[in-house]
Amino acid sequence: MKINASTAALIFPVLFITGIGVTSFAGYWQTEGSKVPARYEEGEAAGEYNPADIRGSYTLADVENAFGIPATVLAQAFGMSGEENPGTIQIKSFEEIYGGLEEGEIGTDSMRWFVALYLDRPYTPEETTLLPRPAYGVLKNKGVLTLEELEALDEFFISLEFTGREPVDSGDEAEILEIKGKTLFSELLDAGITEDQIVEALGGIPMGPGSLSVRDYCSEEGIEFSGVKEKLQNFLNY
Amino acid sequence: MKRKPKIRYFVQSFFFVLIALIAVSHGLSETGGGIAFVPEASLHAVCPLGGVVSIDTLITGGSFVKKTHESSLVLMYIVFASALVLGPLFCGWICPFGSFQEALGRIGKRLFKKKFNRFIPYRFDRWLRYLRYLVLVWVLFMTARSGQLIFAGVDPYFALFQFWTGEVAIGGFIVLGATTILSLFVERPFCKYACPYGAVLGIFNLFRLVPLKRNSATCISCKKCSKVCPMNIEVDSAGTVRNHQCISCYQCTSGDGVCPVPSTLEFHTGGIKEVKDED
Repeated sequence: MKINASTAALIFPVLFITGIGVTSFAGYWQTEGSKVPARYEEGEAAGEYNPADIRGSYTLADVENAFGIPATVLAQAFGMSGEENPGTIQIKSFEEIYGGLEEGEIGTDSMRWFVALYLDRPYTPEETTLLPRPAYGVLKNKGVLTLEELEALDEFFISLEFTGREPVDSGDEAEILEIKGKTLFSELLDAGITEDQIVEALGGIPMGPGSLSVRDYCSEEGIEFSGVKEKLQNFLNY
Repeated sequence: MKRKPKIRYFVQSFFFVLIALIAVSHGLSETGGGIAFVPEASLHAVCPLGGVVSIDTLITGGSFVKKTHESSLVLMYIVFASALVLGPLFCGWICPFGSFQEALGRIGKRLFKKKFNRFIPYRFDRWLRYLRYLVLVWVLFMTARSGQLIFAGVDPYFALFQFWTGEVAIGGFIVLGATTILSLFVERPFCKYACPYGAVLGIFNLFRLVPLKRNSATCISCKKCSKVCPMNIEVDSAGTVRNHQCISCYQCTSGDGVCPVPSTLEFHTGGIKEVKDED
């Protein structure tokens, strides 16, 4: 049997149409990930989803679906609590948002590490991986890690000030860490204050919505803003 | 005058444009856009090498290497099926990066005339051709060890079609630049010396069902076949060409290529009388 060039030219179109057609019909042809991470095969976490398999193409909603951590919490940890639709944020956008850090990188591996810490699952991050400072507060609030364990990791948390990122919808005072009348609750969270600390500063009253200013909330609740401001400022200043 | 296998150029051009459109469409899709009727798949998803490097992780862990998907495995099977019949037909007809090098080679031919593709002495070149198997072993080993698409860090094909995205590693740009320059001196340098997928498909040349055969009884030993071969195979001294570098480009054949004698150099399963095996 002889095969000339004209026949050879038909081989791939026939194979592609047949192969892709059949596998598409069978539901096997996939050009995107299923957004379902691999599971641990051994150890105490065997059978659980492995944060190491989180990909840059995942959105925060994908992480929420796989690991059960609300996208709003993830957004808060990564200094994006002011975003309108945090679930749509793609993890690979972190590298661009937080790019150019001298100390290391905030990227996909940061999310893997954060999820592992949040859920207390084993994971070894890359040497250059960093976490944004608000993640510290979220982890502290979650209570999975002891204070000693968190402090041991302190060098890996970097203030958003150094990332060049400005909180969304933060107005003219975005880069000012000093608390003023217009400061929103979401900005406090982005700056690294935990919800518990805010509640403490408010004298035990639950925190207001992220889009509300602290002063307006204090007025609504009948609390003296200056006292709350002072306590919050102390938390910010450590 | 013999007909040139121009149909191959049409096929090459079609797939080059198709991959370029897919690359652009994928980039646009991430910002909510896209090109109508063009898939939004990533380049990794439509590269059959992804299937090859995922074999280990699929067997041991049941998952694909990061950035590769089921489509890569399907394409790998399709290309293997074609290779079983006609060897690395994918390299000679489909691979956009092979077409890119070939296009640059046409400039090199004009610049260097007969010297083009003859710069490296045979005694070195014959051994350098096995470098791509070292690359293949390195890629498979490192991918299996890390679970990451290691080759993406030096992949010139990815660099060529994604250079504007910011996702290309510096290694990819370096290899792309080196290949671009070398293509002016050597035909398909990356295919010959470094392509891990070409290395895999080259193995099929050893047992392909439809090999290139020369009828020594009718051959007039004009050596046109050897001179035109982009992979520098000495076709004129072979009976059945089983060289691992053949890319089934048809440039040497009777009817479709430069061989001036009908039914003397053809791809077929048998029938040419007095065929002697390659030395």
